[in-house]
Amino acid sequence: MLELQSLNKYYNPGTVNEMCLFRDFNLQIPDHEFVAVVGSNGSGKTSMLNLICGSIPLDGGKIVANGRDISNLPDYKRNKRIGRVYQNPALGTCPNMTILENMSLADNKGGRFNLRRGTNKARISYYKELLQSLNLGLEEKLHVKVGSLSGGQRQAMALLMCTMSEIEFLILDEHTAALDPKTADRIMELTDEIVKKKKLTTIMVTHNLRYAVEYGSRILMMHEGNIILDKAGEEKKSLSTNELLDRFTHISIECGN
Amino acid sequence: MTILLGILEEGFVYAIMALGVYITYKILDFPDLSVDGTFPLGGAVAASLLCKGMNPWLTLIVSFLAGAIAGIGTGLIHVKLKVRDLLSGIIMMTALYSVNLKIAGKANLPIFSRETIFENEWLESFLPEGAKRYVTVMFLFLILLAGKLALDAYLKTRSGYLLRAAGDNEILVTSLAKDKGFVKITGLAIANAFAALAGCVYVQMNGFFEISTGTGTIVIGLASVIIGTSLFKNVSFIKPTTAVIAGSLLYKWCVSRAIRFGLPSNDLKLVTSVLFLIILVFSERKRRGKKNA
Amino acid sequence: MKSCSQKGLRKRSLALLGAVLMMGTAVLSGCAKKSEGATLKIGIGQFAEHGSLDNCRNGFIEGLKEAGYIEGENITIYYENAQTDGGTASQIVDNFLEKGCSLICGIATPMAQSAYSAAKKQDVPVIFTAVTDPIAAELANADGTPAGNVTGTSDKLPVQMQLEMIREVMPDADTIGILYCTSEVNSISAIEEYKEAAGDYGFTIIENGIQTTADIPLAADGLMKQVDCITNLTDNTVVSCLPIVLEKATEAGIPVFGSEVEQVKIGCLGAVGLDYYSLGIQTGKMAAQVLKGEKKAEEIPFEVIEEAAFYGNTAVAKKLGITIPDSLIESAAQVFDTIEQ
Repeated sequence: MLELQSLNKYYNPGTVNEMCLFRDFNLQIPDHEFVAVVGSNGSGKTSMLNLICGSIPLDGGKIVANGRDISNLPDYKRNKRIGRVYQNPALGTCPNMTILENMSLADNKGGRFNLRRGTNKARISYYKELLQSLNLGLEEKLHVKVGSLSGGQRQAMALLMCTMSEIEFLILDEHTAALDPKTADRIMELTDEIVKKKKLTTIMVTHNLRYAVEYGSRILMMHEGNIILDKAGEEKKSLSTNELLDRFTHISIECGN
Repeated sequence: MTILLGILEEGFVYAIMALGVYITYKILDFPDLSVDGTFPLGGAVAASLLCKGMNPWLTLIVSFLAGAIAGIGTGLIHVKLKVRDLLSGIIMMTALYSVNLKIAGKANLPIFSRETIFENEWLESFLPEGAKRYVTVMFLFLILLAGKLALDAYLKTRSGYLLRAAGDNEILVTSLAKDKGFVKITGLAIANAFAALAGCVYVQMNGFFEISTGTGTIVIGLASVIIGTSLFKNVSFIKPTTAVIAGSLLYKWCVSRAIRFGLPSNDLKLVTSVLFLIILVFSERKRRGKKNA
Repeated sequence: MKSCSQKGLRKRSLALLGAVLMMGTAVLSGCAKKSEGATLKIGIGQFAEHGSLDNCRNGFIEGLKEAGYIEGENITIYYENAQTDGGTASQIVDNFLEKGCSLICGIATPMAQSAYSAAKKQDVPVIFTAVTDPIAAELANADGTPAGNVTGTSDKLPVQMQLEMIREVMPDADTIGILYCTSEVNSISAIEEYKEAAGDYGFTIIENGIQTTADIPLAADGLMKQVDCITNLTDNTVVSCLPIVLEKATEAGIPVFGSEVEQVKIGCLGAVGLDYYSLGIQTGKMAAQVLKGEKKAEEIPFEVIEEAAFYGNTAVAKKLGITIPDSLIESAAQVFDTIEQ
């Protein structure tokens, strides 16, 4: 269970450009829920993810994960239980390290980074198996540097790497936005498989309304720091892309763009 | 022969330091100027301890640790006090000047009369007269080799993986639930430990500590790293650490050739700076080219 | 296309690098060859570049000449300056050894140490000069005998005579300021000596340490406020920026005493100084003894030059409204009536 309790967030406080993004923002995400979040630019989607992960400071309120207040934990400590995939495929992998080294790093998340061998040879066949599930032939390129892979391949690896260890929450920050439509579809299917298999509590920010409708168990639409649409279960299943689009156009017209 | 020995000796010593610079500059992408202070720090520690009668081999360990502490200092200034990387190094380097004077007690501390790793009773007892000339270069090579192999091995450990990840993609380190600041501090500690070790060996080789020996260390280190890694970029079976050592030898060779062929030593710094700039510009351009691709 | 142009770039960059290196060596090797055919080769390594040390070197060459070793006839002299860089110093010596020098002269302490350190492996004799304290530098044993195949001359400052002279010129002065660089070991031992002796002449010493030449203006300003006059050492760092100190002192109306004739030439009021040229000659003669095989360097104890003389500058005195006593002027080795710019 992830709870955001009366969050406040200001940008540029104390200057003429001061802007209040969130005022008394509340959200509860029960375990194993897959939430798709849509909304226009500047609606606060990514800011919300950044607040959850601790990438930006919070100005008020509490973030509670499984009953534990994590608002004051630094980002890296929160990440023990959180996996995050970014829009930019480069952010989820190390370009100058090989696929095998990247997998080993991810496999060791939550463990100690001590003087034991970086790559556990006994685990290689397991890594190969995981890579095989991507269907990209990466299992044959274990000693290739990740930097030479395509964006889609790297994003697939990033997804695999951040879900390898025991995490509870998966944060997807427009993770298909930088990919071509076909690859994006493939990554989206893969995401769904992994989320279902590992029963992860997931928040996915996306600009692709079709994905928001097709995948996940709950949908949120955000606008200027507020949730203006929140449908789950049967209600969500009956929601069509066109309806969502209408609603989306509506708020866009209000804004004047 | 003399000049070759000289190049090998100097090249090996500075290669030990360059291995450290390789960690900061190439792996962590951190231009760390503190080595200008930690190289003489190792020397000051060695000279003062040898004067107190410590076993020369033990001074290697103490100097190594002293350098690590200084590196941690630079790291803390950068990570905890949020000072920019270049500036934290400059601050540490400047502070170390006074610290080094304090440790050595004075600006010039000779140890000609003391036992060193290259000259001691134990060695005298069995080495034939003719072999003496080669003792220094042989020991230097062994120390360098030990340092290189240890570093290679470290980079293959979990901690070493994390260090490489920190230079490659800081965000991933955070994603792995690790404090990237801590990883940087570790890297700086190791790098400066190598620099101090080099300084310790250098002083024992020359027979005296001199406060001015640190000036320009970073230039030699960077030049060695950049020359080495650029030259052997496409030779995959040569490890970067080996390339750095080759770079150091090559750099020293160039400088010594320049002096040999009558380059006035007054112009030496200008020539090395220009040489360095050329290498830097070209390797930088290559890097940018890669990023755009 | 892109990868192709990059490959080209890489090749070109390597080629250029190689070209620069080769051109450099080619041009340089062209100007290296002179006075071939001489029998003996001598290397002179100098640590820093300033008047006193230059005089030393010229004296050394003159001393050799007087003993029958004439440059270009029966000896070849190689001269290199380390410009206060320790790393360069040892490379200079390696180069001398490679060229087959039969004797190396090290001017100033770190150069002498570098020379001794590298040359002892091949048992090439080292002659040093301008080393203030050869015992502290471990170039000589505590009893004054050489530490190895190394000997030379020491340039200890005549501190007592300098203090006596200042007392004569300024009967009412209480405090003397000294500016020095903390990294110069010779300056530190000189200051200790000054402090020890100052009481006997009724002076108090106030010293101000600097680290680089950039610190000099501020440090000089600070010192001017506290002292009646300034005495200058042979500190390489301070001497190289002496004009700045002199300018500030003239503004404040404070006289600056020097330690060497070159300093008086450019505007110090006076100095009891060593004649570095004759120090050099003395060193050159010692070197000649070794070259002739009369004695080995390790058999000759180092020598200290004792004779010091007064040098004065009347133009400076007039500017400051001070008269240098006639007794001093009469005994002076040289009196200048202009200030060299």
